Amino acid sequence: RTRRGDLNTDLRLGLSIVSPDAQKDNWIGPSVSKQREQRQDWPPIKSLLRTTLAVAGKADTNVHNVHNNDNSDRRRTSLFVKVYMEGVPIGRKLDLLTLHNYDDLISTLAHMFTTSITCPNGDRADHAKSLHVLTYEDREGDWMMVGDVPWEMFMTTVKRLKITRADRC
Amino acid sequence: MAYSFPEEVLEHVFSFIGSDRDRNAVSLVCKSWYEIERWCRRRVFVGNCYAVSPAAVVRRFPEVRSVELKGKPHFADFNLVPEGWGGYVSPWITTLARAYPWLEEIRLKRMVVTDESLELIARSFKNFKVLVLSSCEGFSTDGLAAVAANCRNLRELDLRESEVEDMSGHWLSHFPDSYTSLVSLNISCLGSEVSFSALERLVSRCPDLRSLRLNRTVPLDRLANLLRRAPQLAELGTGVYSAELRSDDFSNLVGALAGCRELRSLSGFWDVVPAYLPAVYPLCSGLTSLNLSYATIQSSELTKLISQCHSLQRLWVLDYIEDSGLEALAACCKDLRELRVFPSEPFNREGNVSLTEQGLVSVSEGCSKLQSVLYFCRQMSNAALLTIARNRPNMTRFRLCIIEPRCPDYITHEPLDTGFGAIVQHCKDLQRLSLSGLLTDRVFEYIGTYAKKLEMLSVAFAGDSDLGLHHVLSGCDSLRKLEIRDCPFGDKALLANAAKLETMRSLWMSSCSVSFGACKLLGQKMPRLNVEVIDERGHPDSRPESCPVEKLYIYRTVAGPRFDMPDFVWTMDEDSALRPS
Repeated sequence: RTRRGDLNTDLRLGLSIVSPDAQKDNWIGPSVSKQREQRQDWPPIKSLLRTTLAVAGKADTNVHNVHNNDNSDRRRTSLFVKVYMEGVPIGRKLDLLTLHNYDDLISTLAHMFTTSITCPNGDRADHAKSLHVLTYEDREGDWMMVGDVPWEMFMTTVKRLKITRADRC
Repeated sequence: MAYSFPEEVLEHVFSFIGSDRDRNAVSLVCKSWYEIERWCRRRVFVGNCYAVSPAAVVRRFPEVRSVELKGKPHFADFNLVPEGWGGYVSPWITTLARAYPWLEEIRLKRMVVTDESLELIARSFKNFKVLVLSSCEGFSTDGLAAVAANCRNLRELDLRESEVEDMSGHWLSHFPDSYTSLVSLNISCLGSEVSFSALERLVSRCPDLRSLRLNRTVPLDRLANLLRRAPQLAELGTGVYSAELRSDDFSNLVGALAGCRELRSLSGFWDVVPAYLPAVYPLCSGLTSLNLSYATIQSSELTKLISQCHSLQRLWVLDYIEDSGLEALAACCKDLRELRVFPSEPFNREGNVSLTEQGLVSVSEGCSKLQSVLYFCRQMSNAALLTIARNRPNMTRFRLCIIEPRCPDYITHEPLDTGFGAIVQHCKDLQRLSLSGLLTDRVFEYIGTYAKKLEMLSVAFAGDSDLGLHHVLSGCDSLRKLEIRDCPFGDKALLANAAKLETMRSLWMSSCSVSFGACKLLGQKMPRLNVEVIDERGHPDSRPESCPVEKLYIYRTVAGPRFDMPDFVWTMDEDSALRPS
C-alpha cells in the first residue's frame, strides 16, 4: 500500500524543493501538467469518493452523456475482470470494485489461487520467495506488471489479469 | 465561615455538566472539586492520541464509560500522511481493557485498529454498547466477527469510511440468534458482500434498529424485503440503486419505502438509475438529511428530487446539480443548514458541468439558516464571496475549494484576499475555514484581525511570505488546528510564535519552507511540543540544515516523544539528537 517511490511522491518532491519565488509562477509546468491527473492528494477529496469517481469517469462513457436524455443511464455496478494462472486452463473472475488497493488485490488472488504472489511495492529481494508475479493486459493490448501506476488509474485501464510464474519474468 | 457541600451533592451537581470544557473548568476550582470531578467523569475525548498517555488517562479518571480518540492528522484523508506514520490504538485498548471493565463506548477516528484490538474489546467489556470506527484501517472482517459474537449489548456498530480487509467469512452471521439490541449499523464502506440472509435475520430480530447503512453490494431488489422488516428506520443508506427491476419489484420497493414513515435521512444511491428514484418521492417531505455524493445523475433528476424535500437540513451532492439545481434548492429548502457540493470530475482541468459561484450565492440568499458549507467549484470572484458573507453572517463553517490551485478572481483577475476577508469580517462566529484560489499575505492579515473565533484553518497554495503565517498565529485567538500545504512559509513566523503552538492541538505543514535547523531549534526550545519531521527522502542529516523538510507535524503533549514512529519520522528532541525509530 505504500506510495513511496511511485510517480506521485516524485511529483510532490519536485514541488516541495522549489524556491518560494518559483512557486509564485504558474506552478504547473508543462512537464508536470500531464502527471497532474495522477495526483493522489489534490483536490482534497476522500479516497472512497475519489475511487468511485475515477472509475465512473473513465470506465463508463455514459457519464459524459449526463446531458443527453437518451437511452440508459445505467452505471457500472461492478468491474469484473478475468484472471488466469499460468498452466491452469480454467480462469476465474474478480470484481475489482470490491477492492481498495494493490494489497487487497494480491491477497485476494493469492487466496483464490492458493499461491504466493509478489507484492508490487515490496522489495525485489522478495521476488525470489514468491512463486508468481501478477501481470495485466491494458486497454492498448500490452501486458504490464501490476503495481506501477496508481490504483485508480489501474482500475480504468485493466482488461484482464494473468498470474505468471516468477521465474519467467 | 466556610460552607461546603457534601461530596454527594457536588457529584450530583456535576452530573448535569456534560461538556468537556465545563468539566475541565470545574476541575480547576480547587483540589476537592478536582477529586470529586475526576471520579464522576464518564466521558473522555482525546483529540490527539499522542497528546497524553493511556496510563495517565485511566489514572486520573477511574470510572469512565465512553472514550473517543483521534489519531492521524486530518490531511491523512487526502493521502498526505505516508503509510505507517502511526495512530495505533492497540496500547490504548490494552490499557482501557485493564482499567475499565464497564466501558460502554469507543469512538475512534483515523486510527490504525487491529483484529487483536477488536478481539480484546469483544472480550473485555461486558456491557459494551457503541463502536464507531471512522476512517480507520488495519482490521478485517475477522475482528468484526469477534465483536458480533461477543458483545451481547451492542447497540451501535459504525464503520464509516474505514478500510476493512475482507477475509471471506460471514462475520454478520456471528451475531447470535439471541442478540436483539442493534440500534445502528453502518457498513457502507465495506467492499465485499455480506451474507444477505444473515442481514435479513438480524434486521428482523432487532426491533430498535433506527439506522441502517448498507454497502453497495446489497442489491436493490432485496431492499424491499429488508425495509419491511424495519419500518421503524429513521436513517437508511441504500446499497446499489440499480437493477433489472420488474414492475412488481418496483412497486414492492415503493410500498416498502413508503412504509418507513420515520425515515428522515437517506444516503447510498450508488450507480443510481433515475427511473427508480421516484420510489423515494413519498419520503421527501419528511427528509432532513440527503447524501447524494455517489449519485452520478444529471441536474434535472437531482432537482426533481430535492425540490420535494421541504424539510431538508443537510444536503451532500455532486456538482451535477449545477447552478440551476442549487437555485431550486434555495427556493424549496428553507431549513437548510449544511451544504456540501463535491466535484464530479476532480482530475480534469476543465469541468463538464455548469456549476459556478452563482450556485453558492443563490443558496446563501435563499437559505437563511445555512451555517456550514463545503463547496468545490472552478471559478470564484471577490464579489460573490462578499455577497455570500453579507447574506450569511451566521456561517460557522466555510470551506471553499477552487479546483485549480492559485486561481484568481475570474472577473478581475485579482487575488481573492478581499473576498475571504469579507467572510471573516462578517461571519463573526466562524469556527472553520478552508481557503483556496490565488491568495497573498493580505488574506492572512484579514484572518488574523477578524477571525477571533476560528478554531480550524486549512491553507493550500497561498501566501507570499512568513508574514502570512505570522498574522494567523499571532491573531487567531481561538485557533486549535492549523494545516498548511504548499505555501512559502518558513522559519521566522514559526519560531517567533513558538509559544502559540502550545495553545493549539496541532500544526501541519507540508511542502513549505521550514528548515531542518528551525525544526531542531523548536524541538529544543519547546519541551511540551512534539516536533515531528516527516521526510521520505531519508535522514535529514544527509542534507544541509537550511534545507526545508518535506513535512512537519507539531502537537502539544504531556506524554513526551512517541516511540512507535516509522523510519521516516523523527522527533526533534531537547538535546537535539535525532531519535532513531
